Parts: sequence; C-alpha cells; structure tokens
Amino acid sequence: MSPLSLRRLSLICLRVSNLTFGGGDPTMAALQSELVTRHGWLPPEKYGLVYALARITPGTNILAFCAGAAWELKSWPGAILAVLAATVPSAVVVVLLTAGYESLQHNVRARAAIAGTLAAAVGMMALSAWQLLRPHLHRRRALRALFLAAVSAMLSYRFRMSPIVVLGLAALAGFFWRAPEQA
Amino acid sequence: MNALLLYLLLLKATGTSFSGLTSLPVVRHDLVEHYHVLTDRQLNAAVAAGRTAPGPNGLYVVSVGYFVGGAPGAFAGCLAAMTPAFIIVVLLRYLGRRAEQPGLKSAIQSVTLAAAGLVISATIPLARNALTGPLPIAIAVASFLFLAFTRYATVWVILGAALAGLAGSYASIS
Repeated sequence: MSPLSLRRLSLICLRVSNLTFGGGDPTMAALQSELVTRHGWLPPEKYGLVYALARITPGTNILAFCAGAAWELKSWPGAILAVLAATVPSAVVVVLLTAGYESLQHNVRARAAIAGTLAAAVGMMALSAWQLLRPHLHRRRALRALFLAAVSAMLSYRFRMSPIVVLGLAALAGFFWRAPEQA
Repeated sequence: MNALLLYLLLLKATGTSFSGLTSLPVVRHDLVEHYHVLTDRQLNAAVAAGRTAPGPNGLYVVSVGYFVGGAPGAFAGCLAAMTPAFIIVVLLRYLGRRAEQPGLKSAIQSVTLAAAGLVISATIPLARNALTGPLPIAIAVASFLFLAFTRYATVWVILGAALAGLAGSYASIS
C-alpha cells in the first residue's frame, strides 16, 4: 500500500469530483475505485458506512462522501481539504457559465440558445424528480411512494406550504408509516 | 441582500435537502417568492449552469448566489453547498451503524419521496416560464429522455439544447 498524504488525498478528490460527469453515484464509484480498490487506504466496510451515511447527510451526497472518507483517513484537515478540492474548481466553472449567461442574454441569437438550455433544464428537473421516485416504485412500495410524493407536491404547490414543513411532515409520516419489505 | 443573509438562506435550503436539486423548492420559496431577489428565469439558468459544469450537481446554488449578489453571493453559495457535508463527521462519530435503524431509514426515505414531490411542485412555475412553444417543449422532453436512457454527460444535452434553440431562431426569422 502506497502512503497517503493530505496532498495526495486532496488531488484525488479534486480530480475525481471535478472531472466526473453524471452526479453523485458515478463519482462515488470512481472514488471507491481509487481509495478502496486501487490503493487500499479505505477498508471496504468503512467505504460502505461512509457511503450509507453520505446518502442521509443533508446537502450534496458527493461532498458529504468526500468529507466522510477523508475524515476517516486524515481527520479534520483531510475532510476540509477534500471538500474544498471537490467544490472550488467546479464552483468557478459555474460562476463563469453564469456570468456568460448574464452578458449574452441581450443578444438575440444567444437568447435563443439560452432559451433552449432553459427548456433543457426543465427536462432535467423533471428527470431529477423521477430519479428520486424510481427506486421506490416497487410493486408493494409504489402506492406509498406515489402517495407521499403527490401529497408533498400538492401541499407545496396548491397550499403554498413551506418546503421545510413539508419535509418535516414527511419525516414524521415515514417514521410511523414504514414501507412494506421488498418482495 | 447581504452575503450573510444569502448564505443563511441557501444553507437552509442545502441543509434540508438530500441530493443536488432537492434544495430547489426551498431556494425558490425564499429567494423568488419571499424576497423577490431572483426570477424564475434566473433560477432555471442557474440549474442549467450547475448541470453543465462537471462536479457536484448541487453547485447550482453558486450560480443562484452569483445572480443575487455577484461574486460575494457566489462565495456565499459555495459555502452553503459545502457546509452540510461536514455533518457526516458527526454522523460517523455518533450514529455509525444506527443509520440502518428501521424508523430512521424510513423517515429519510420519506423525506426523499417528499423531495421528489417538492421538485415537481417547483418545476411547474419554471416550466411555465421556459416552455413557451412547441420547440422548448420538444427540447425539454428530448432532454428528459436523452438523460434517462443514455449515459452521455449532461453537458452534451445542454449544448444540443442551445443549438436547437439557435436553429429555431434562424428558422423562425427565415
């Protein structure tokens, strides 16, 4: 096993998090291959625990995963550097894209192109909702999943209830009304 | 809006969501509906910018911050995206294996389902704003299907959508 330094850990988080497209799961899979399979720094059972906890940590799963895995390996300095490395380069790209959007929106052609990207963003958001729902649409669980999602959408859209209240009610409902075990 | 208030509002959104875009309903509720410092169009553009860049999807809040408060706002957004990640250290220390406890697991699962409902609810006004004719509707549907059924990166969808929008503008003028 090759030695792990703070610098090396940060560089791995920087490279994998900022150059992997496709969201959290492909990125965590790439980090698993680096930290667990290739270098053997993180035992598989620790990876499993960090992965599971990253899924239930608020915010962006992949950042929580980087913080958790790096904390296991290099304590707080590792966690802080890993999250910075995973976030800052992409955040700079996001700012540049946003600045580009602002400066281009007065040009007719650019506005037409931007309108196309805005329409695509609507498709992506619909897909995001679908991807959150899909894993729960098993035969015995589907009705409960659809009911919780539909009631939440209605409380927010029709009754203008604050999303925080909706999420709190959902957590309470979920604690007492559990899904039947998967068949 | 000052950067500290913006940070706290964005932190409220990121700290109560469980994946990239699930913070969007809270962002929209606070910044579009309550404080009126962001438009639906800008929020939509922020989502597109966040998804075009490589890296975590939740970084659209950096773009939101930039729209609201320029560079300091983007910094606030970046901090708000990073801060909740450190909660995992507390969880690793004190929760450990209890993450599999049935009641807790079920509560988190239900929050995720509610988040799906909230994302649908937030998508409706953004769709009204962006889907103003047959071409944008076709682009939205094609983007959904393309990302759902292929493994290509989001950036290609954004580029394709921009080209389609551009082609549409040439066609409508000619």
